[in-house]
Amino acid sequence: MQQKLMSSIQIILLLPLTAMGLTGQSYPGKPKIIRCRSLEKETFSCWWKPGSDGGLPTNYTLFYSKDSEEKIYECPDYRTSGPNSCYFNKNHTNPWTTYNITVTATNEIGSNSSDPQYVDVTSIVQPGSPVNLTLEAKTSASITYLWAKWSPPPLADAGSNSHVYHYELRLKPEEKEEWQETIPVGMQTQYKVSRLNPGMRYVVQVRCMLDLGEWSEWSAEKRIQIPSEELPPEKPTIIKCRSPEKETFTCWWKPGSDGGRPTNYTLLYSKEGEEQVYECPDYRTAGPNSCYFDKKHTSFWTIYNITVRATNEIGSNSSDPHYVDVTYIVQPDPPVNVTLELKKPMNRKPYLVLTWSPPPLADVRSGWLTLEYELRLKPEEGEEWETIFVGQQTQYKMFSLNPGKKYIVQIHCKPDHHGSWSEWSSEKYIQIPNDFRVKDMIVWIIVGVLSSLICLIMSWTMVLKGYRMIAFILPPVPGPKIKGIDTHLLETGKSEELLSALGCHGFPPTSDCEELLIEYLEVEDREDQQLMPSHSNGNPSKKGKTTPRETDSDSGRGSCDSPSLLSEKCRESRALPSTLQTQDVRDVQENKTVKRSWETQCVASEQKTLLSNSESTKSSTWPAAQLPDNQSPMFAYHSTVDACKITLITTNVNVAPVLVENEEKHQSRYSVTETVPGDMEEQGEMENLHSKTEQTAVQVKQNRPNEKSPFLNGTLMDYVEVHKVKQDEEPAVLLKHKENSGKTENYTIPGTSKEYTKVSTVVDHNILVLMPDSRVQHTPMSQEPAKETSQNLQQGQAEKNMSYCLTAPSDCKRETSGSEYMDPSSFMPSFK
Amino acid sequence: MALARAAGQAGPGAALALLWLLVRAAAPPAVCAPGDSGCLRLSVADLFDRVIRHSGRIHSLSTALCAELENRFPARDNELGKPARRCPTAGMLTPNGKEYAQKIPREELTYVILKLLHAWKEPLSHFNQHMEHHQELPDDSLSKAKQISKMVHELETGIEKVTEKMQSMGIISNSLHGMASSEAAGFSSTNEANMMSDSDFIHCFKRDSNKVQCYLKILKCRIMPENSC
Repeated sequence: MQQKLMSSIQIILLLPLTAMGLTGQSYPGKPKIIRCRSLEKETFSCWWKPGSDGGLPTNYTLFYSKDSEEKIYECPDYRTSGPNSCYFNKNHTNPWTTYNITVTATNEIGSNSSDPQYVDVTSIVQPGSPVNLTLEAKTSASITYLWAKWSPPPLADAGSNSHVYHYELRLKPEEKEEWQETIPVGMQTQYKVSRLNPGMRYVVQVRCMLDLGEWSEWSAEKRIQIPSEELPPEKPTIIKCRSPEKETFTCWWKPGSDGGRPTNYTLLYSKEGEEQVYECPDYRTAGPNSCYFDKKHTSFWTIYNITVRATNEIGSNSSDPHYVDVTYIVQPDPPVNVTLELKKPMNRKPYLVLTWSPPPLADVRSGWLTLEYELRLKPEEGEEWETIFVGQQTQYKMFSLNPGKKYIVQIHCKPDHHGSWSEWSSEKYIQIPNDFRVKDMIVWIIVGVLSSLICLIMSWTMVLKGYRMIAFILPPVPGPKIKGIDTHLLETGKSEELLSALGCHGFPPTSDCEELLIEYLEVEDREDQQLMPSHSNGNPSKKGKTTPRETDSDSGRGSCDSPSLLSEKCRESRALPSTLQTQDVRDVQENKTVKRSWETQCVASEQKTLLSNSESTKSSTWPAAQLPDNQSPMFAYHSTVDACKITLITTNVNVAPVLVENEEKHQSRYSVTETVPGDMEEQGEMENLHSKTEQTAVQVKQNRPNEKSPFLNGTLMDYVEVHKVKQDEEPAVLLKHKENSGKTENYTIPGTSKEYTKVSTVVDHNILVLMPDSRVQHTPMSQEPAKETSQNLQQGQAEKNMSYCLTAPSDCKRETSGSEYMDPSSFMPSFK
Repeated sequence: MALARAAGQAGPGAALALLWLLVRAAAPPAVCAPGDSGCLRLSVADLFDRVIRHSGRIHSLSTALCAELENRFPARDNELGKPARRCPTAGMLTPNGKEYAQKIPREELTYVILKLLHAWKEPLSHFNQHMEHHQELPDDSLSKAKQISKMVHELETGIEKVTEKMQSMGIISNSLHGMASSEAAGFSSTNEANMMSDSDFIHCFKRDSNKVQCYLKILKCRIMPENSC
């Protein structure tokens, strides 16, 4: 690293040095003394040519020494003779001395000296050229002479012009290359050349020399026409006459060859109808070879006959006459004050306004001269002019101009009906700005294209990801967050159930939900479950067949409404409590066949309910009593009823899972909420379990009417629900017990068919542990599911009726005692 | 009196044109309230514009005809300078420059205009007759000559109208007719015109028509300097 750094630093340091070398800054080159010259032997100057300056500002210093002295002097005057020179004035000039002169160039880096130059002032004398050479051809006695005159050369040191020069003159015919001869003139400053060819043009030069030294340069060339012999001038030509303002006019002519002789030109004119000939009143005003007619001499509607006569000493010659009617030679000056202004009115295209003034000479206000205008314009790079005749107005508006171009505009004018057009006015330029609207248009087009592109992309993405986008833009109406609302119900539009569900939710304690009436222990088998769909489907028809007694048993309400059934049941239950008990004990023992008459079962159940009712303490445990095996002595006292119940339940179980499954989701929950309002977590669990269970909603719905009963049971608190939930492979049992404050226990039942008939323990707060019992009846029951289900349903309904009675004991009593009719509607309002 | 005579001479076309001129001339004051000087002035300016335009048209016609004739009969050796040429109105003293035209009294200038026009009426009709006998002339030239003759009549009538109006308004004095009668004899005879070539004749007329237009402009600008002058 360090090495690299070092090397780079070295490079950096070296750079300037190499750069210096490359840029060539060095010692100045060697200057060279070109020449030293004395104009008049009294002063002298030396000039030098600088060498290369080495790329730096360089000073030049001239040193000299005289041969008589050792001392070295510096140049006394660097300025007088111009740059790179040194002027030695009289004081520093000694004609008898030889000067040793060197020039030293110095710059920052070093200095360099020229070779020494030895100067003898006398030998370097060279005067300047003579000046003011004038030539004149003179003719006397038919011989033509050429007189040349000149002046001696001027000196820097004016005032001492006492030097005597010798002159030489040379001349040649203009067309020849070589000089004819060089004539020594002597000390005169004029010379007369004779023997010249007349009619030829000669070129003359002079030069001079002091008594010693060199000849000067030749002076500037002068030319002269030697007049030809005895010829008058050629006739001039009148070029044109013009009146700029219809008040005065001027005529110009072109002289012919004057033969080298001085020639006079005279303009003569006569007016129409007049014999008198006048001479031009004013040759000067309008310049050479012209005549100006002022107002006094200008008449209109008359014709001037104008001739120009050229005269020299030999003779004269007149031009052709020129006839002029001043009215028709009016050619005004071009218009002035041409202004171009670009107007940008709101909401309109910009236009160009041209204004101008008539030429200042033209008096248009008097009516004497009326001008018409014409303008022309073209784009700067254009070839053709567009010409527009404007008329007499002095402004014009141009609308149709191409934006973004530079236009050239010119205007000229002309008197109306006569005269000719003036020159064009000076060119005026105007830059027409780009039409901003065009720009706007472009911008808008771009914006439009872009936005349409965006729209396209948007719609494309919408098509591709439509649902997501729609969901994003229009989020779905959030489903009712009410737990237990079945979206399936919503979808199928069974508002009745939905409403009931809602109603249950809204008024938990007083709701008329039948589901709370699930008063039996439901235990489900997996096998049964599998069989369920067919059972449930077959239910309604079978019911009708197998239960002729209850014609209206299709609906729970109907069964409830039927007074005969109720009363009958109630009566039976009341009339034969004891007998039935014993009977039933037996029956239950025979219950394995389950071919019992349903009446007895019903009675038993009713009895059971009654019992449970009467024995408030037992009510909590009746599900346990339900347990089919009456062998257990504990429950013997009501075993018959329980047995009956259990059979019912067991048979019912076949249907129950399906029927209840979904209902449980809503209803069983309600029961729980009712009974254990505080135990929401449990509900959640239950829900989860329920949701896990997979049962078709259709079946439930089909079965529900059967199961549903109009029992409005606010007092079903005594019942315990055991929900059998199928959880994946293994059936789980959820048992809810009211009295145990809704304790629920989840069981994972390893076996395919087990019945839990005993509560073994209470786990935690609210979990009932059921003891599994080997069930013998189970198999046959499953073998005849159809019958059982229908009967069970009926039975269930009956039970429910009974339970209703139980729930409203007073009513029940009333019913049972006398009226034999129980109108559920009478109870309804109280719950509503 | 002069009006009626002019109309009688010009024939139906001229009479119609005269009528048009009169109606147009009379119309503006009828529209304006009497005594509205600005309105009356405008109408005079309008009349002036009209006669100036009319004279301009005459001048253009004569220029065109002149060019046609000069093309057809090329002038030998710069005809312009021919000393023999003498225009019918050459004897008339007319302003030959701006200053003169501006100095001369308005009445006199008006009179000069009328005098010029009047002087050309007869030579023009003679010229027309002469042209009709010229078989070699194109119809276009003939119709131009006729048109010129007609328009000169109309112009004279129009200028008379303007003059009357100006006199009624007090812009110029009424001493015009006296002048006209006194110098009427000064016109050159038609014989002189007959001796001229056609192109010379038209050239002379062209010049005088230009003169008339110029005088009219000067007159207008002198009377109404604020009106586009």
